[in-house]
Amino acid sequence: MAQSDDLAPIIDGCKAGSAECFSQLVDIYTSRVYGYFYRLTGDSELSDDLLSELFVKLVGKIASYKGGSFDSWLFKIATNIFHDYLRGKQRRKKLYEARKNQLESEITEPKRSENGRIDKLQIQLWKLNDDTRDLIMLRYYSQLSLKEISKIRCEPIGTTLSKLHRGLKRLRELME
Amino acid sequence: MNGQNEENLKELFERFVSTEEAESGVEDFVKAERILQQYPAPQPDEEMIAVIKSDIAEAIRRRREHAFRRLAYRMAPVAAVFIVIAAVGVRMLKEGSGPVELVQGPIIPARVWESENVAAEDRNLLVLTTELDELEVEFATLESDENGGNGSSAITELEIEFAEINTNIWEG
Repeated sequence: MAQSDDLAPIIDGCKAGSAECFSQLVDIYTSRVYGYFYRLTGDSELSDDLLSELFVKLVGKIASYKGGSFDSWLFKIATNIFHDYLRGKQRRKKLYEARKNQLESEITEPKRSENGRIDKLQIQLWKLNDDTRDLIMLRYYSQLSLKEISKIRCEPIGTTLSKLHRGLKRLRELME
Repeated sequence: MNGQNEENLKELFERFVSTEEAESGVEDFVKAERILQQYPAPQPDEEMIAVIKSDIAEAIRRRREHAFRRLAYRMAPVAAVFIVIAAVGVRMLKEGSGPVELVQGPIIPARVWESENVAAEDRNLLVLTTELDELEVEFATLESDENGGNGSSAITELEIEFAEINTNIWEG
C-alpha cells in the first residue's frame, strides 16, 4: 500500500489533469484492484473491463476526493462498480450462467488459472455467498482495517468482524 | 496495508467475545489469509494496462474539451451583451460629436400634392404652360433681335413677368 505522503503529489497531479500521474496510480493499484475484481468474477476479461471502468471513472471523480484514506476511497468506488455490474439484469443473468457452468465443469475438470496452477481458491470461493466473498476479497485486496471496511459497507464494525470471521473460517475449511 | 497494521485484531475481538475466543478468531484470520497468499490472482497483461492508460489520456482530453465548451457556452451570452452595449455606445458617441447632417426638404411644396381639387389644379397648370410657351416665344424673338433692338428693357419686363408668375403659382 502506498503511503499517503507518497500519494499526495500524485493525487494533486491527477486533480490537475496530468495523464502521467494517473499512469502512476494505475501502476500502484492495478495489481490489487484487478485481484479483487478477478476473485469476485472469476473472469479475466470481465476483470479487465471493470478495472478499465474504474480508472476511467477516476478521471471524473478524482476532484471529489477530499483527503483521508485514498485506498478506502478507491476501493469504495471499486465495490460500487462491481455492485453496479451485478445489478445489470442481463449481466447478472450471464454471470449466474457462467457460475453455474463453472461449477458444473469443476466436477469433471478443475479450472486452471492462467499460470497453470489449479485455482482451487477460485473454486472454493464460489461456494461462499456473494456478500461473504465480497467481504473477504475487500479485506484481502484493499488491505483496509475493519473499521474502514465497516464504513464502506455502512454496517457496525462488530457485524463486519463477525461476518468476516465466519467467512474466513468457512473458506479455510473448504480449502483444507 | 497500513490500515490493517494499525489495528489490533485481538483487541477488537475482545470487545465482542472472550479472550480465548478472540485468540481463536485471530488465528482463523491469520490461517485464512495465509491460504489467500498461496493463491495469488492472475495479473492483467501489459497490453491491457497500456490500453487503460490510453483510455485515461483520452478521458482527460475529453474532459478538457467539455470544460472549454461549457465555459464558451457560459461566456457567449455575456460576450453578446458586451458587443451590443459597445455597438450602441459607439453609435451614440458618433451621433453626439459628429458633423451636423443636412436635411433636405422637398423642392415641390407639399400642398401641391396635398390638393384634392384636381380639376382646378389642372386648369392652373394649363394657364401656366400657355404663359411659359408665350414667354419662350418672346425670348426667342428678343434673342434674335427682331423687334427693333430694344432687347434689354424687354428682357427686364420679361423677368418681372416671370417673377409674378412664379409668385402666383406657388401661392395657388
